[in-house]
Amino acid sequence: MPGVEHCLHEAMAIPGAVGASIVDYTTGFPVATTGAAPNADHDAAAAGTADVVQAASSRSLFVSALPHDLLEDLIITTAGGYHLLRLVRTDFDSRLVLYVWLDRALGNLAVARRRMQTLAAELVAT
Amino acid sequence: MSTSKPAAPGRLLTQVAGERQTGALVVGGQPGGTVYLIEGHVTHAESAAAPGVGQLLTASGRLAARTWQAALDAGTARARVGELLVTQGHLTQGELELCVLGTIYDAAYFALAPPAAPVEFLPSAAHWLGPIVRVEAAAVAREARRRSRLLDEIFPDPRVDVTPVALVARPPVERLTITAAQWELLVAADGQRTPADLAQLLGRSGYATVQELRRMAALGLVEPAISEPAGDSPDFVRLPHARGAATGIHRPVVKLDDGPLVPVISAVGTARSPAATGEFPVTGLPSDIGGATGGLYRPPRLARRKPGAKLPKDLAADGSPVHTGTDEVLLKRIRTALRALR
Repeated sequence: MPGVEHCLHEAMAIPGAVGASIVDYTTGFPVATTGAAPNADHDAAAAGTADVVQAASSRSLFVSALPHDLLEDLIITTAGGYHLLRLVRTDFDSRLVLYVWLDRALGNLAVARRRMQTLAAELVAT
Repeated sequence: MSTSKPAAPGRLLTQVAGERQTGALVVGGQPGGTVYLIEGHVTHAESAAAPGVGQLLTASGRLAARTWQAALDAGTARARVGELLVTQGHLTQGELELCVLGTIYDAAYFALAPPAAPVEFLPSAAHWLGPIVRVEAAAVAREARRRSRLLDEIFPDPRVDVTPVALVARPPVERLTITAAQWELLVAADGQRTPADLAQLLGRSGYATVQELRRMAALGLVEPAISEPAGDSPDFVRLPHARGAATGIHRPVVKLDDGPLVPVISAVGTARSPAATGEFPVTGLPSDIGGATGGLYRPPRLARRKPGAKLPKDLAADGSPVHTGTDEVLLKRIRTALRALR
């Protein structure tokens, strides 16, 4: 059943994943969560995720004027881990990002990034 | 319990969820909304101000209108429209779930936002989409409150959310940076569409629309609301009144002794509307339309012309057919209102 729950379950199967969620980045609300979150607070993590995505989408540095040059993902490295944010593109109006928190030591960034790309695509593609 | 006296919708939701009830919590008022529960969990929500799943999917082009309609026809009776769309391959399970989740929080915000409204609970009422997701009622209520706070932080005037969106003619700054969402709203705002109308038209989340409009109001791009005379009118649909360059929907009263009149060709058998032929009675409009302050468009008096003659060039360019636009907005409002009654 390739729904939201399945997607998050698969996200947790990424080597090193500690927590995952799907966040609406205009309101900063976690629509679905699983696993752990930084500071044990999924809501605060979601709000932070939203701020970061909005900052990146609104600065012309990252968003060029070419049509369809859309933001795909963001990777933030902290001492505590990697935070991967992958935008989920739906045809209908939704402003969602898949967020995965990876353990710094156990996580492999390249693998995780590609897995998330697949997961985000599978969620909405036929 | 099915009381209809005003109560806090959030509190009734918490109560009903605590009792693990199944049914629909109907919140009256403007825009109002309905929250559907199954065993105390929220499974769907609808509101006149929040486009529903069908509108979101068809307006964006994700589903053809007839695909959606076919699913409605086949699935409504047994309340499994959503399931049908997925099993027939029109939509993935993930898309459906994400769409419904978005709609739940969107509509629930409008339903739960008012501090007091006529609320009633209808036991065993179910939604035709079928149960797609289950969300904790407490989370929904909390999120609705948080969204209220977010809006107030952007711009504290709640009238922006309900008054027809009129843009200022001159921005207060020399350069503007606007987002794609704001552009869509700018293009669609015609001085008569409310935020709810715009959301439905564009197929965008009602809350996101309201949020962008508050941001635009904070930037000074939206005309401040004219305070409405009737807060408690029994009309469910508020008729648009003339604002800016739009004409009111009251047709002008034609008095024979009131200056030059262009003869209307209605009796000759050709059923052409006066607007189409470019001729219309040019008497001054009655000045008591809706109480709008200075925005009435008074067409200038024209010299007498032969029947069938074109308008003088300088006026023909001005004469945009606002009448058709007005009716379209009104019809859409009526449709939205009827849907909300369901």
